[in-house]
Amino acid sequence: MSSFKSWRRAPENFLSAQTLEDIQRAGFDAQRRELVAKAFLAATGSAAMVLSKSAWGASVAQEVLPAGARTTVGEDDPHILQLPPHTTHLGNPVAMRGYGLPSQYEGATLRRESPGLTKVRESSVAFTPLQNLFGIITPSGLHFERHHSGWSDIDPKHHRLMVHGLVKKPKVYTLDDLMRLPSVSRIHFLECGANTSMEWASPAVPTVQYTHGMLSCSEFTGVPLSVLLDDCGADLSQAQAVLAEGADGSSLTRSIPMDHALDDVLVAWGMNGEMLRPENGYPLRLVVPGVQGVSWVKWLRRLKLGDQKFATRDESIHYIDALPNGLYRQYSGIQECKSVITTPSGGQRLIEHGFYNITGLAWSGRGKIKRVDVSVDGGRNWQTAALQEPVLSKCLTRFNLPWRWNGERCILQSRAIDETGYVQPTYGALRAVRGSQSVYHNNAIQSWRLDATGEVLNVQVD
Amino acid sequence: MCKSIEMTRLIRCVMGWMVMGALMLTLSSRVVAQEIKPDLSGLGRAARPNELAAWNTDVRADFQGLPPGQGSVKEGELLWEQKCARCHGSFGESHSHTNPLLGGITPDDVKKGRVAAQAPDSKVPVSTLMKVATVSTLWDFVRRAMPWDAPKSLSTNEVYASLAYLFFLADLVEADFVLSDKTLPKIQNLLPNRFGMTLDHGLGSVNGKPDVNQPACMKDCVVGEPKVKVMPTRMKQIHGNLEDQMRDFGAFRGVTLETKAAKP
Repeated sequence: MSSFKSWRRAPENFLSAQTLEDIQRAGFDAQRRELVAKAFLAATGSAAMVLSKSAWGASVAQEVLPAGARTTVGEDDPHILQLPPHTTHLGNPVAMRGYGLPSQYEGATLRRESPGLTKVRESSVAFTPLQNLFGIITPSGLHFERHHSGWSDIDPKHHRLMVHGLVKKPKVYTLDDLMRLPSVSRIHFLECGANTSMEWASPAVPTVQYTHGMLSCSEFTGVPLSVLLDDCGADLSQAQAVLAEGADGSSLTRSIPMDHALDDVLVAWGMNGEMLRPENGYPLRLVVPGVQGVSWVKWLRRLKLGDQKFATRDESIHYIDALPNGLYRQYSGIQECKSVITTPSGGQRLIEHGFYNITGLAWSGRGKIKRVDVSVDGGRNWQTAALQEPVLSKCLTRFNLPWRWNGERCILQSRAIDETGYVQPTYGALRAVRGSQSVYHNNAIQSWRLDATGEVLNVQVD
Repeated sequence: MCKSIEMTRLIRCVMGWMVMGALMLTLSSRVVAQEIKPDLSGLGRAARPNELAAWNTDVRADFQGLPPGQGSVKEGELLWEQKCARCHGSFGESHSHTNPLLGGITPDDVKKGRVAAQAPDSKVPVSTLMKVATVSTLWDFVRRAMPWDAPKSLSTNEVYASLAYLFFLADLVEADFVLSDKTLPKIQNLLPNRFGMTLDHGLGSVNGKPDVNQPACMKDCVVGEPKVKVMPTRMKQIHGNLEDQMRDFGAFRGVTLETKAAKP
């Protein structure tokens, strides 16, 4: 197949044995680094050496290889025979980077915006690169961003949390107070209600980063909201909702129903073992498991108990779901059962025919994932995938299905079922009830079409 | 024990068991209480009245929290040009920063409290006034979050004035109207989409009833060829070169694209 010729393996090493010996003898200084760069140019002929900015600002030498550069079968691999400098020289010292960074070769794994989605960057979205991630935990620096009035880095020593309204003792807490309270750590997914919103009418964006990347999963540490409400003497006979308010410019507010507030909601400062990142609400945010991200109020400064919901902007003008009959569903918070295959997924190109692990993520705002089925024929037949432990409530679950691609065009889908028995719907079933203008809460089955060229395309099957 | 048939001894015996039982109950509940409810006294302090007043600014649909004050359409017009028009346009029509505030509403909508342009086949761009069902929401949000680059800088009367002008632009009030804590509730009965919300759905609670639930068919689930919609090539291109968004090693690469440079 001719298209396979242009595909590339990992970068090749074009250093001569002489250069390597020289480096082994005299060390890898600036002059020899340049020598190495020139050697690449000379050795590759038509290939070019480019200096590019890595994601973290450092200049990184990258090879641009001629088409078809692959290790030839039957030839010794120079990567084995010629030892690279990192194997023959002393590496870097400890604590060179006090707060570690990803490898310089991981520059493709970044949060990204979807052009044209929003009009101002302070009220916008940056998507998590799900196509490049493993397991269920989202690295904190890749947690998706959604702000309504920009983000700030707040001094925790000056941050306050006020609890008032239908309570006997309205109180103010500092981080000194809060972080002494009995805390718990739990792993939960966090999905924006508008995740997959661009796909309601038809497939619109190229990769899983843009179709499903308003999704992340972290271990959160904080005090149960019920502890704080008890500490303030909440009037449980009257209170119907908790208003949660952020300290950002928009002072974003959402109403949390009282039964949920007393159940598993946390007032959290920790995320994945460290403090929350500023983009995710440092130093304090609400964690509302199973509910859309907007209710997980960031930079949390105030909790007010009331005898009714508060009809705030982000539950009366936005985050309302448009129905075909012209009505809007208000206070629609639960993220229903959903799944997506992350490999193979849109915008990816498979290297060659043969074995692949079909892998993806499943989650439900109503509890644990019970089962995930995978189809490789556009939904005609299904087989059950293996669930990777742990399988936790209101948490991402990783699924895997071993598979051999024979080179034919096929359509891949995943379908999750949660512990309530609810089955993730097809687009046809979902649109029949909700139309295609809903904006929010699209949990339909995602389809990826793998073409004979190895390229994966975002498609939809009714 | 308790073998005696003598009444007093029997009573004494029963009482003895009761005391012991009560003691055991007390002890066990103490153990449980220590686990569930530790003594947290000393953490946090009482909120002071001035502090509460400073942050307790939310206004609910029943107008709880609405402060006294007023602003006229005329005052609002000047304020609008100074502080609102840059993003929202002189007539609340601008798309530059967000969806338009106004547009798509008719006198008939105002009468009925349902916006006809909400129909699924409508081509009218959705505006704020086509959606909002509670006038308190507008007051609350302008007070807490507007103007865009200087939130919370408007005085109470300026909030009233800016909204008075917005309602004038929306043809809900006349040019001589004065919006105040007394007249705001009257606007509620004029909101074009005031009956446009429904709570009749299962997405409000973890125990809510889903609106779809298909059986999980395993074999021969599609009859004939499946109907497939494909993403337009244009959408692929505006997201940059996908090759740069995937690793250059591992199970897959990113698709190489000739990109049309996305606007910065």
